[in-house]
Amino acid sequence: MLGLRFRSHSVRLLSMFACAVASTLTVMTVQAQEVIRFGAPLPLTGPLAPEALKQQQGYDLWAEQVNQAGGMKVGSKKMKVEIVYADYQSNTPRAVQTAEKLITQDKVNFLFSPFGSGAAKAASTVSEKYGVPTIASTASSAEVYDQGYKFLFGTFTPNDTLTTPLVKIVKQKAPEVKRVAILARNDLFPLAIAQEMDKAAKQYGLDVVFFEKYAINTMDHSSALSQIKAKAPQWIFVTGYINDLVLIKKQMEDQKMQAPVVTMIAGPAYKEFVTATGKTSENISSAAWWHPAERYQGQDIFGSTENYTKLFREKYKAEPDYAQASASVSGALFQMAIEKAGSLDRKKVRDELAGMSVQTFYGPVKFGPNGQINSLEPPVFQIQNGQPVVVYPAAIKQGDFRLGVK
Amino acid sequence: MLILQILLNAIVLGSLYACIAAGFSLVWGVLNVINLMHGSFIVLGSYLAWGAYKALGVAPWTSLLIAAPVFFILGYGIQRGVLNRVIAAPVLVTLTLTFGLDLILNNAMLVAFKADYRQLVLDPSLGSLSVGSLVVPVDRIVAMIFSLLLTLALFFVLRRSRVGRAIVAVRMDRDAARLMGVDVPSIYATAFGLGTAMAGCAGVLLAMIFPISPIASGSYLGKAFVVCVLGGLGSVPGAVVGGLFLAIVESFGSLVLGPENAVTLSFGLLIVFLIVRPQGLLGKRGFE
Repeated sequence: MLGLRFRSHSVRLLSMFACAVASTLTVMTVQAQEVIRFGAPLPLTGPLAPEALKQQQGYDLWAEQVNQAGGMKVGSKKMKVEIVYADYQSNTPRAVQTAEKLITQDKVNFLFSPFGSGAAKAASTVSEKYGVPTIASTASSAEVYDQGYKFLFGTFTPNDTLTTPLVKIVKQKAPEVKRVAILARNDLFPLAIAQEMDKAAKQYGLDVVFFEKYAINTMDHSSALSQIKAKAPQWIFVTGYINDLVLIKKQMEDQKMQAPVVTMIAGPAYKEFVTATGKTSENISSAAWWHPAERYQGQDIFGSTENYTKLFREKYKAEPDYAQASASVSGALFQMAIEKAGSLDRKKVRDELAGMSVQTFYGPVKFGPNGQINSLEPPVFQIQNGQPVVVYPAAIKQGDFRLGVK
Repeated sequence: MLILQILLNAIVLGSLYACIAAGFSLVWGVLNVINLMHGSFIVLGSYLAWGAYKALGVAPWTSLLIAAPVFFILGYGIQRGVLNRVIAAPVLVTLTLTFGLDLILNNAMLVAFKADYRQLVLDPSLGSLSVGSLVVPVDRIVAMIFSLLLTLALFFVLRRSRVGRAIVAVRMDRDAARLMGVDVPSIYATAFGLGTAMAGCAGVLLAMIFPISPIASGSYLGKAFVVCVLGGLGSVPGAVVGGLFLAIVESFGSLVLGPENAVTLSFGLLIVFLIVRPQGLLGKRGFE
């Protein structure tokens, strides 16, 4: 009797357990069906953390918009979006492992590249191996896209699209400028853009009187700057990330260095650069892939540049820059490709991305055969009265190029 | 003229390096503790100067008066409360402990201030001094003078005061010092407090020159390490000589081999010294 009662009790317990497991499984299946997971390996801590935060803001804004609209349309159903972040602590070799972990363990459907050209190139090998469509929102160097990979796409045009318009403007506005000094951070993107500048300057008949690199983590640039000053250049062109450029600008001022043209890439596009350098940033020129002053009408979820800027301001109480916009448009491009493919099949989505030709808030988007965008005309801008002002292209120009940087 | 300008830049930079390294050298030399928090203390000092200037308009050189006691107490407390518990353990234990404490401090600063770079912009700017075509920024000269004064003060504290002599005595022979009635745990805490105060004050001075971010702590620590090995552990004049030596090698290395090799050169020098002259330029093995 006791045995029977015990058995029926066990059966009841077992059946309850089975029900619980079954219902959990059902919930998991429903969730798995309803959510599209995008992996984002980012340097959330370490020296590149400020850049990672910008990308995160861009992805989050896009995901929030999609989810507020009830999700994205995949075939006949609506699916929500989830961004799975993973920190690789600004350590590029770890970016590759992190990307692989996102694909194999976190089972993400699609991937965003890690930050910058170097890490994006390194991690693209992993996404290619697993056939995961990947959009790099911060990789411009042509070397990233020269491996014949089919699953990698990038939203930054090649580096020469930033330097050539700059050289043209300076030639036109200041024909007396002949001597150029270039100082580059010895890192994939900053060095690549400096090399493009060197090429463009020589092509347009300028004399490159100084071209040197500085090491990552250089604390003091006074020796290099003294060498530049001794060459009396009329155009000083410096590349690096925001910390380097703030430091170099301060030390240029310390050494009383002045020139008709000073160009810095990629710091001045960020508000933090102007805040940190104060009045000394006046008339510094730069170029970026996007600027909130642009006026594009798009077929994407954001609709227009104006609307994107408005939504960004509402969420973050700050102006968006190209890094955030590029991250957001990467999400929007995935969305358009997935909706058109009508499925989460990676191969189909990849084909949609490859054949895509759309208008977005970020500008016209079309990827070249190597996967890198080839439809954008990046703006040239200058800090005037403490604000970035677009001086090129003519269609979105807000002011004229000015000479003289103290 | 270029050579003279570079030499001038190097001398100014070298005295800042000396200030960065003096406290680190003291702690390492006396306590045999490689304090990995040193870089973060410097950054914290920079934030103190930045905050005091932004909120209250207090000039960085005035902030030194606040930074020195505040950081001394902080360092004293950390040594007394935490490090003294494992001070007799092998050096790896204290190294791991300061590594852990540094992670906490650095991440706390990341949470509090974010990783954004800030710059203490003096208004009006102090400008630059020019002699012919030679230029030296005044803020660097100010920082140089104060850092040399601080280093000199530390030197005299160690040489002339009772506490200083006790610190040197503990460094030379801990057991003998204890037998002479020196309160060793308290001397350890005082030495660590002095090292921390030096780091905080260096941070205050550096705030005028370098952008401020928690991320910068690693670079400061790296410089302190190299300067200590070059100059000699636990020796205050060694920190000055090591700092100047490092800055001159880096600056002229940058001229001859290109700026990209300056950092490689300084760490190359570290390796050479560790092999050829581990006691540094001025250090003597085991005692001051």
